[in-house]
Amino acid sequence: MSAQIAPPVRTAAPAAGRRRRWARQGSLVIGGGIVLAVVLVAVFAPLLSPHDPYAQNLTARLIPPVWYPKGSWLHPLGTDNLGRDYLARTLYGARISLLIGGAVALLSGIIGTVLGVAAGYFGGRVDLVVTFLITVRLALPVVLVALAVVAVVGGSLPLVILVLGLLKWDRFVVVMRSAAQKVRTLDYVSAARATGASTPRVLWREVMPNVLPFLIVTATLEAASAILLEAALSFLGLGVQPPLPSWGLMISEAKPYMFFSFWMIAIPGTCLAILIFAVNLLGDGLRDAISPDGRNSP
Amino acid sequence: MIAFVAKRLALALAVAVAVSILSFMLVRLSGDVATAIAGEGAREEDIAIVRATYGLDRPVLVQYLDWVWSLLRGDLGTSYYFKSDVAGLVLDKLPVTLKLGIASLAVALAIAVPLGVVAALRPNSWVDRAALAVAVVGQALPNFFFALVLVMLFSVTLRWLPVSGSTTAWHFVMPTIALGYYVAPAFMRLVRAGMIEVLGSDFIRTARAKGVPERRVVLKHALRNALTPVVALTVVQLGYLLGGSVVIETVFALDGLGYLAYQAISHKDLPVMQVVVLILAVVYVLLTLAADILNAWLDPRLRAGM
Amino acid sequence: MRRLFGSLVLSLALAATPALADKASNTVRFAYDQAPESVDPLFNNVRIGVIIGAHVWDTLVYRDPNSGEYKGQLASAWRQIDDKTLEFDLRRGVKFHNGQDFTADDVVYTLNFAAKPENKVTTQANVSWIARAEKIDPYRVRIVTKEVFPAAVEYLAGPVVIHPHEYYEKVGPKGQNEKPVGSGPYRITSHVVGKSVTLERNPDYFRDSPKGQPAIGKIEIRFIPDGQTRMAEVMSNGLDFIMSVAKDQADQMGAVPFLQVVSGETMRIAFMQINRLPETPTAPLQDVRVRRAINHAIDRDTMVKQIVGTGSRVINTICFPAQFGCTDEGATRYPYDPAKAKALLAEAGFPNGFEVDIVAYRERQQTEAIINYLRAVGIKANLRFLQYAAMRELIKGNKVGLTHQTWGSFSVNDVSAGTPVWFGFIGEDVTRDPEVRDFLKTGDTSVDPTARKAAYKTALSLIAERAYAVPLYSLPTYYVASSDLVFKAYPDEMPRFWEMSWK
Repeated sequence: MSAQIAPPVRTAAPAAGRRRRWARQGSLVIGGGIVLAVVLVAVFAPLLSPHDPYAQNLTARLIPPVWYPKGSWLHPLGTDNLGRDYLARTLYGARISLLIGGAVALLSGIIGTVLGVAAGYFGGRVDLVVTFLITVRLALPVVLVALAVVAVVGGSLPLVILVLGLLKWDRFVVVMRSAAQKVRTLDYVSAARATGASTPRVLWREVMPNVLPFLIVTATLEAASAILLEAALSFLGLGVQPPLPSWGLMISEAKPYMFFSFWMIAIPGTCLAILIFAVNLLGDGLRDAISPDGRNSP
Repeated sequence: MIAFVAKRLALALAVAVAVSILSFMLVRLSGDVATAIAGEGAREEDIAIVRATYGLDRPVLVQYLDWVWSLLRGDLGTSYYFKSDVAGLVLDKLPVTLKLGIASLAVALAIAVPLGVVAALRPNSWVDRAALAVAVVGQALPNFFFALVLVMLFSVTLRWLPVSGSTTAWHFVMPTIALGYYVAPAFMRLVRAGMIEVLGSDFIRTARAKGVPERRVVLKHALRNALTPVVALTVVQLGYLLGGSVVIETVFALDGLGYLAYQAISHKDLPVMQVVVLILAVVYVLLTLAADILNAWLDPRLRAGM
Repeated sequence: MRRLFGSLVLSLALAATPALADKASNTVRFAYDQAPESVDPLFNNVRIGVIIGAHVWDTLVYRDPNSGEYKGQLASAWRQIDDKTLEFDLRRGVKFHNGQDFTADDVVYTLNFAAKPENKVTTQANVSWIARAEKIDPYRVRIVTKEVFPAAVEYLAGPVVIHPHEYYEKVGPKGQNEKPVGSGPYRITSHVVGKSVTLERNPDYFRDSPKGQPAIGKIEIRFIPDGQTRMAEVMSNGLDFIMSVAKDQADQMGAVPFLQVVSGETMRIAFMQINRLPETPTAPLQDVRVRRAINHAIDRDTMVKQIVGTGSRVINTICFPAQFGCTDEGATRYPYDPAKAKALLAEAGFPNGFEVDIVAYRERQQTEAIINYLRAVGIKANLRFLQYAAMRELIKGNKVGLTHQTWGSFSVNDVSAGTPVWFGFIGEDVTRDPEVRDFLKTGDTSVDPTARKAAYKTALSLIAERAYAVPLYSLPTYYVASSDLVFKAYPDEMPRFWEMSWK
């Protein structure tokens, strides 16, 4: 129900093709570039960071970043409320955010793709059941259910990934379903079916490659949304647990200091915003590349 | 039309049942309910008594049906923590959340519709790209972070707005903005895409050819058509807003359903938790039902699709 | 960005003309981080409930926080009849907020009600010593204790309040929470569950109360969970009084001219429990060397100096130093020595440490520091930060190996209100050593003060020697208030609004 998410429809592409191409590639290049940079930072965090992100020094707490009069190059981004190096924590934080975004997108992507492709390809009863499932899922308030489960079971990184993964497959289903419906009617798919290829084979060999672009776009956007959700859970103290350097948790711990040491909340906040911005931009760029009107997902 | 409504009603009912089962299960996740009710310093005997009095020794299915039956009679249970009627608590807090949700939606639409229309009139122009940039940046800014920045600017520094509470309309200004700006981008994209599609369609070309003034073409003919999917999205987003208000209500200590849910969650107040989840879900189901029927009425083609 | 905000906040917040708080309307606006389970002190065990309770209800006896001396409040005099019987003469002319007279029936009903386990008073230790209360005449009662219980008067001066019997019988604890009726210096004029409580001066408060007549007309208490929201409120003059502010924030707000920061030591101690029971989820904790290693791993001195704050001191036994019976004389001490901690762990067969769950419910920053200290010797502690009740459930269910606890002893100045809660085989005892229990029991029930002290001393040193817990430090408390408000910080963490006034 409320299938407002229509399949990609090609309408008359207006003029200004050159500018449009630039716009498309622009978001791809900028978004992709930033994401790549964050990935590199995450991978090489141990090499890049000057200190152990967990090493505390209670006698060197709340040192401001280097551009403040009291800052020093020993801790370029300063130290947190327990005297841990803020640069090291910020760099390692990229790992947590990417891990959460990637793992949640993977988990929910698998669930959503299976359901969506099945619904779109087989139609009929299967479609009805999947429609029902997705309606139930959409009716559940994600933040609240995630908070409740984490509160009841106890927060940890694997749990947060699992809960978000199990809650965020809805958009995959919608996108995959309409993509599979379209692919199903393509000539060579019909031909493959007619020649007696087995259903799993048709699905894997003919349908999957066709729906893959939509899957990638959706996965990108869902990864961004998962990262934000984790930050919100951690912000309320119900996400990943300290001393893990998650950006959401860093924001949460910097909260009490925000009125006097704004940099403490601004650094992880800005990192988070830039990453989400870049991932969304990348998703937009990819979407434009496969469906120029960006109509497949609101 | 009647067949369509009947089908939709059946689906809504099935979904409501499924959601109630899930809310019920949510509580069982936490282990033994009797121990939780018996509370501090309870001995085994006490727990056994609780188990018997609350009927927790019966089969789960019976317990579930019993719970649904009392819900239908309007008995939502008793809060473990606040020791008062859940129905009373919820009714008490619901208006604040509804006010916040509706106001945020209004803010979001007020930002999104003009921006979307302007962007669609000149696709890929700098206006369009600026609007898109606003959307992408808006979605990247975590709303709790944005909320704190608002507090810092408007309450602590400028002292224009009160920080927390829900006593006057001023208390709602910051929470509304913090919640509303975040859903605006989705509307904007939808309006833009819809407008581009409609503006390229035959009947708009006909209208233009007939010499209907451009202003009228855009506002009357095109926008009206482009807004149909917005109705459905509004409903989806209202559901999101009700859920998302947990974070914002907590930051602003706004005494609504989200804040109640946060308190219930942190005190493991299971009866309140499950009822809040259930209510939000049922509200969503009812809203989508209404939206679908409304849409089908506006656009008869959709009826066949069901 | 940071320049903009940094300078804006400081310059504007500092330069802003301080409004006259709510001095004009004689109202103190106060916010606390959580709502009480119930405002009825018998059914509450969080601090805010204790604070509200002390304003709305009276107790038989009043302990003067300045001299430590007991004074009659609802009782005018009392005497020990025998080892287990106390007799109280009651004050005449005291009225409850609903106009009813206070008599012996109220005392007898309340105490007998509270003493019955099936009525489920939240903290059983506060009332389980009561065998029964008897009415001698309308203004005289006797209280019989189950065992010899020298600390009785202390409890009667603290958590055991007196309810109006007819009203309480009619509405029960639930009604008393929704529409409370007490006899104290303030009455509750509005209680919006989970949101706010408004107290107004009781105009008929009895003249001779040791609490005196209140000067502040109205106290508006709101529950605001987020610390920085409370801070923003007090900095933007939306509140006049907040408490339990963390050291760092208090230090920062001290620079704001229209605010004052007051701090002092409290009776609340912080400590860690170590679950060594056969059912422990973390088997290594059963080894005394591991428990000692944990004790050696934490640098309490540095914690106190750097993050706990002014007024705090390191403790070496599980009790507040000023409590009757509390001593660290002869108790094993565990100085900060990570190398020794590692050696002990290796000796116990855990050279690479182990994983353990730790629960906590407040002072999260301190818990994190502890976790980092443990990490430094190889013990990987996973934090589960919960609300108090949820945390207790986990502890009682043997679901966690370590706890970061705090305990304020209900401001009762006697070891019996603290140590036995953790080592007396009640719900949250996760060490259950019968020897310790027996010594504590002797201390709780002996009449002779010297015998009591000796028994407590043995129990406390056994706990230290066997490293059943990690004694950390006493906690300070920081209040941030409008600079116009006159008030004093007491070690029992009880803001006494009835004593406060405006400059």
